[in-house]
Amino acid sequence: MNPVITGVGFITPIGNDRVTVEQSLREGRHGIERVEFLGNAQLPIKVAGTVKGFLVDSPKWRDWSWPNGYDIPKDILRGLAPHGLYAICAVEQALSHAALRTADVAEDPDTGLYCASAGSAMLLHHNLAQMRAVRGARGNPLGVVSSIAGTLNFNLAAHFRITGAVCGFVSACASSSHALGYAIDDLRLGRLKRAIVVGAEEMNADSLLPFAHMRALSNESDPGLASRPFDVERDGFVGAGGAVALVLEAPAEAARRGAAALAEASGWGQAADGYRVAASHPEGAGLRLAMERALADAAVVPGDIGCVSAHATSTPIGDSAEAIAIGRLFTTRGLRPPVAATKGLTGHTLSLSGAMQAGFCVLSISGAFMPGNPHLGVAAGECDGLYLPRATLAGAPGRILSNTSGFGGSNVCHVFAPPSGITG
Amino acid sequence: MQPIPPPVPSPALARFPAEVLEAFQRYRAKGEARDVETVLVAAAVDYRPAGSASAPVVSDSTRLLEDMGYDSVAVAELIFFLEDLFEMTITNEDILAVSTIGDLRACVIRKLAGKSGAA
Repeated sequence: MNPVITGVGFITPIGNDRVTVEQSLREGRHGIERVEFLGNAQLPIKVAGTVKGFLVDSPKWRDWSWPNGYDIPKDILRGLAPHGLYAICAVEQALSHAALRTADVAEDPDTGLYCASAGSAMLLHHNLAQMRAVRGARGNPLGVVSSIAGTLNFNLAAHFRITGAVCGFVSACASSSHALGYAIDDLRLGRLKRAIVVGAEEMNADSLLPFAHMRALSNESDPGLASRPFDVERDGFVGAGGAVALVLEAPAEAARRGAAALAEASGWGQAADGYRVAASHPEGAGLRLAMERALADAAVVPGDIGCVSAHATSTPIGDSAEAIAIGRLFTTRGLRPPVAATKGLTGHTLSLSGAMQAGFCVLSISGAFMPGNPHLGVAAGECDGLYLPRATLAGAPGRILSNTSGFGGSNVCHVFAPPSGITG
Repeated sequence: MQPIPPPVPSPALARFPAEVLEAFQRYRAKGEARDVETVLVAAAVDYRPAGSASAPVVSDSTRLLEDMGYDSVAVAELIFFLEDLFEMTITNEDILAVSTIGDLRACVIRKLAGKSGAA
């Protein structure tokens, strides 16, 4: 039996709660702002998908502030990275949305935690610089748990007292799709009854600027134009941060609690490009296979897909590869499902990307709409045959195929469906 | 390439009341033990893992673990903060001998006295 999603929580550039996020998606309102990294006005990177309402620039948690309504004890804060703070807020929202109290998941052997982040580059740098300044004589005792990849699982497991399973995934921008996929498998195998899946990333110079040095970021200074997936003039992605959490449950467990199923996680698939360390296969070979495997796992065919949530980050190579892969799977069969690239609104949230798209798919299904591509001007040639609506589409989207791709050619795709399994 | 700047100790006290910052500056100028104690007590109150709004009354006999709610990580955090602030090293053996605020004060003052070219 496929698991159902019973709760979602959002700390994103386009809103810090599901109502605001849904409104932003419906209205095509982006969350990208002008920024000046490291106080250097000369840098070509002028915009980012910022997280609002949090002040977490300092490497010292005592200087941080966050929106009201989240109770985060000091003994957890001291080991957290900024994105860990986002993640706790997102998980609290998701649990509350699923009508679960933190006491319901604490020490419950049937609840697992599946996390994805790249760690905190800012805290790693700060802590190691501090250590090096005294030639190794001393360092922050919580430097390891607050900064390395895995910091999310360490801290969230302790904070929410998770006893079922705790794990983390590191496959760059496919990470949280992997977390979601393996959570689905554990639920299907009956190993657990409930899984909390969370992806999170920081929005700061240390996490994002290194991508500029790969020439992966957009140099566009207009926040409304910088992230333009599939556009002929796209010039790179816009870095962004935040956290998204999802609560997945075995259908019997959701039914037992009387929890409303928002969507079904129908299936997933993965495949790799076997090509380059950072660049996608030019024809999206791995992505296409991952999409086919996700459809097979969900026991559906391309014609059953109502729309596609694209990974498209607004990079020249990546978007082109994905457009070709989608075209080969759908257009060649005479199918034209609407394709939406929500990174046009949020920017690219890296490890968080897959969980964020999953959260958006849940909102699309429960709210009966499909986000558009409001920043798209002229679509690139590789998109010929694809249906890329500019405006939001009203109506139930049916089954959604959601794509993610990461460095190393890692591709992970998911299929989400209305909870009854019947497409709209 | 720009060198990594060394940590500057005084901003570490930015969140503390003015009298704590002044005590630290006086200690830097004159090296007096009572100023060390003012800073140390303020830090010990601040680094409690589950701090309540009102600061507890702290005396020499106040125990870090039993009276102030410290756990081993919070002790390590406090020690690291004091090491960095006063630019000295407190060993694991030193820490094991500390159970009260009085013990901690004696330990820090001993370390500072033994530091070559103190303050």
